Amino acid sequence: MNAKRFGALTLATLSLAPTLLFASACSGDDTVTLRVFNWEEYIDEGGEGSYQYDYEVNPDGSAPPIVEDFEQWYEEVYGTPIRVEYSTFGTNEDMYNQIQLGDEYDLLCPSEYMIMKLAAEDYLQPYDESFFDVNDPHNYYIRNVSPYIKEMFESNRINKEDADDTSTWADYAAGYMWGVTGFTYNPAYIRDESVLRELGWDIMLEPAFKNKVTTKDNVRDSYFVALAICYRDEIESLDKTDPAYGEKLAEIMNRTDDETIRQVEAVMREMDENIYGYETDTGKADIVSGKIWLNFAWSGDAVYAMDLAEAGEDEDGNEDGESTLLNFFIPEECANLWFDGWVMPKGANRQAAQAFVNFLSRPDNAVRNMYYIGYSGVIAGEEVLTYIKDCYEVDPDSYESAEAYVEYDLSYFFGDTVEAGSAVFYADREQAEKRQLHAHYPTLEVTSRCAVMDYYGEEANEAINELWSRVKGETLDAWAIAVICVSVVLIIAAVLYAKFGNKFDLFRPRPKKGYHLVKQQSCKQ
Amino acid sequence: MRLHFSRKLLGIPYAVFLAFFVIIPMLVILFYAFTDKEMHFSFGNFIQFFSDPTKLSTIVYSLVIAVITTAVCLAIAYPVAYILARSKMKKKFVILLLFVTPMWINFVLRVNAIRELLNWVGLLGEANYFNTIFGMVYDFLPFMILPLYTTMLKIDESLYEASADLGANSVTTFVRVTLPLSAPGIVSGITMVFLPSMTNYVVSDMLGNSKVTIIGKFIYEYFGSNWHMGSMVALILLIVVFLSTWLTGGFREDEPARGSSL
Repeated sequence: MNAKRFGALTLATLSLAPTLLFASACSGDDTVTLRVFNWEEYIDEGGEGSYQYDYEVNPDGSAPPIVEDFEQWYEEVYGTPIRVEYSTFGTNEDMYNQIQLGDEYDLLCPSEYMIMKLAAEDYLQPYDESFFDVNDPHNYYIRNVSPYIKEMFESNRINKEDADDTSTWADYAAGYMWGVTGFTYNPAYIRDESVLRELGWDIMLEPAFKNKVTTKDNVRDSYFVALAICYRDEIESLDKTDPAYGEKLAEIMNRTDDETIRQVEAVMREMDENIYGYETDTGKADIVSGKIWLNFAWSGDAVYAMDLAEAGEDEDGNEDGESTLLNFFIPEECANLWFDGWVMPKGANRQAAQAFVNFLSRPDNAVRNMYYIGYSGVIAGEEVLTYIKDCYEVDPDSYESAEAYVEYDLSYFFGDTVEAGSAVFYADREQAEKRQLHAHYPTLEVTSRCAVMDYYGEEANEAINELWSRVKGETLDAWAIAVICVSVVLIIAAVLYAKFGNKFDLFRPRPKKGYHLVKQQSCKQ
Repeated sequence: MRLHFSRKLLGIPYAVFLAFFVIIPMLVILFYAFTDKEMHFSFGNFIQFFSDPTKLSTIVYSLVIAVITTAVCLAIAYPVAYILARSKMKKKFVILLLFVTPMWINFVLRVNAIRELLNWVGLLGEANYFNTIFGMVYDFLPFMILPLYTTMLKIDESLYEASADLGANSVTTFVRVTLPLSAPGIVSGITMVFLPSMTNYVVSDMLGNSKVTIIGKFIYEYFGSNWHMGSMVALILLIVVFLSTWLTGGFREDEPARGSSL
C-alpha cells in the first residue's frame, strides 16, 4: 500500500500545491479548519429551495447555507473561530480514490459498505467517549438519534473479516441519511399494483416491461437485485416471525460464493436483455417524460422525483410540464436498507468533526437538510416528527370513507425521543402505501424485511466487479474475435508493405507516379 | 559560469509542463499496468486482458464503432470542406461557422438535446449502437471539417488549372491533385475523431442507455475498483491509437497542415 501511495503522491502533490500554499498562508491565526467531504447536493446549501427560504424562518428573509450557520454556532459555543472547507464527491469509489491519493479530510460521508471497507483497511478513528455523553447539551446526535438507527449501528460489526474485532458501526460512524431501495413507477402505465407485488424484483425480467424499466449503472445495486431474483424461493420460504429472520435474510443477500456469482451472472444477462438501460441520474427525468414506466430508485431519490413530477417541474425547478403522479413500490420479498454516515479518518480533528456532526443532528438542522435533499435523516425527536406530520398527517373527519386513510405507526423509529404514542398518526392511504410517505419513512413492516449489504471483502469484490464487466461489456464469439484479429494483422501487414515494400526491393522499383511530380512542383513555389 | 539567454530557455516552461503532465503520468500508467496489488512486477493484467473474451470483444466493438464514426465523419466532411474551400462565396466563413458553432455549446447539453431528438423519433432505447454512432458523428464532425478545410484552402488554384491544361477531366483532377494534396487534412481529421470515439463514454451512456460499452467506460470503471487493470486497459488503448496513427501516416513530418487548424 505504501508504494501505491507513493506513486500516486507525485500527482497528488502537484494538484494539491496551491491548496497547501493557501493553507500555510493563513495558518497565522488560531482559526480551526474543518475539511468535510460529502456527497454532491447532500446538505442544505441555503437560498431558494431551502427550508429557511421557503418558510421565511429568519425575520430578514435570509437563508444561509447550513455550513455557515455551523461556523457561527461553533464560535459561539467553543469560542474558537472555525472555517469549513467543504468539498464533494460523486461516488463512494471516487471518494476512496481521493483518500488513497493522500487527500486529507476531517469528516467523510460514505455509505455503509464503504465505511466497512475503510474500517477494514484501518483508515478510520473511532468517535471518543465525550460524543456519547447524553448529559452534554451540545451532543445533539446521541440525544436525538432514532433508537432504530442506534440499534442498527450498534448491532452491525464494522470489520467482519477480523473475528477479534468486535467494534460496531456505532464506534466509528454517526448516521446521516438512510433509506431503502425500490421502484418508482408511473401509474398511468401500470394501473394495477398487484402485478408488481406478484412480480417483485422479477419486474426486471418481465417481458411486458421490456424496454420500460431501468436499473442503476452501479454494480452493487444491480447485484442485489439479481441476488433477490436468484434466491426468491429461499427468501420467501423464510419465516418472518422467526427471531433470526433478519440474520438469515442478510446472509442470503450477502452471498458471494462462486456458485452464486454464476447464477447472478445468468440473471444479470437476462436483465440486460430486458431493461431499457442503466442510468445514474437520467431515470428521474425519463420516468416523468414517460420514456420508461419503472425506475429502480433509492428512496430519497424517489421522494424527490415524486415531488418534482407532482409539481410539474423539471430538475431546475422550472414549471414546464403537467403534473404527473408517480408511485413508489418496495418489493415484498426484500429490499436493500442503506445508510450514509459520518466517519473520521485517522489524523482528523476529532473535536471539530464531532461538533459538526452534532450540529447537523440538531433536530431543526436535520429538518433543514431533509427538506433540501429529500432523503430521510437518522435523527428523531419532536421537531422531526412535527415536520413529518406537517407533511403527511391528515384529518380523518375530512374523509368520507374510512378506507381512504390509515393509521401510520412510526413509533419504531421515534421511540422515546418523542411523547409515547405521538408517533402514530393518520395518513392518506395512497401516501402510506405507495407515495412519498411510503418512501420517506417506511413502516417497521417494510424495514424489517430489508437487508443491509456488507462490504464483500477484497477478493469477492474483485470477482463481482469482473462479473459486472462481463455483463456490461460486449460479447463476441471466439471465431469473430479471431477473424477480426487476423484481418487487423493483414491490414497492418498490407500498410507496412505499401510503405516499406519498395525498400525491401522485393520487386523492381516502380517509377514514380505523376502526382509526385505535381507535388514537387508545388513545393518549389 | 555565465548564463546566456538563448531562445532555448523559452522552451523550459513547456518542457516542465511536458514532464509533469505528459511523461510522468504515462510512466505512472506504465508502472501500474505492470504491477499487481502488492506492487510487485507482474504480467498478470496483461495476460488477464488477453485471455478475457469480454475485454477483447469490447475493444473490438470500440474499434468498429470508432472506425464507422470516423468513416461517416469523413464521408460527410470531405465534400463540405471541398465545396467550401473551392467556392467563390464571399461569406463562406459564415457557413464554416455554422458547422463549428455547435462546438462552443456545452457538450452535455448537446448530448442531451440529441437524446431528446432520438426519443422523439422513437429510436432511443431501440437502436443503441446506431444512436451512439449518430451522437458521436454529430459531436466530432467539426474536428473533421476544420483540418480538411484548412488543408484544401491551401491547395494552389493554379494546380487545378495546370491539371485542366494537361487534359485531365474533373475525376482525374480530383484523384490526382485534390485527394493527394488533402491527405494531410484527412490524416489529421481521422486522428482527431478516432481517439475520442473510442473513449467518449458519455455519448454511449446517454444515447445507448449505458448498454453500449466502449473501452473508455471500461477504463473509467476499473479506476473505481482496480487501478492496475485500468492502467493496463488504458495502455492497450494507447498502443491501438498509436498504431493506427502511425499506419495512417500521422507522424510524418513533411506535412504542413497537421494541427494547423486547431
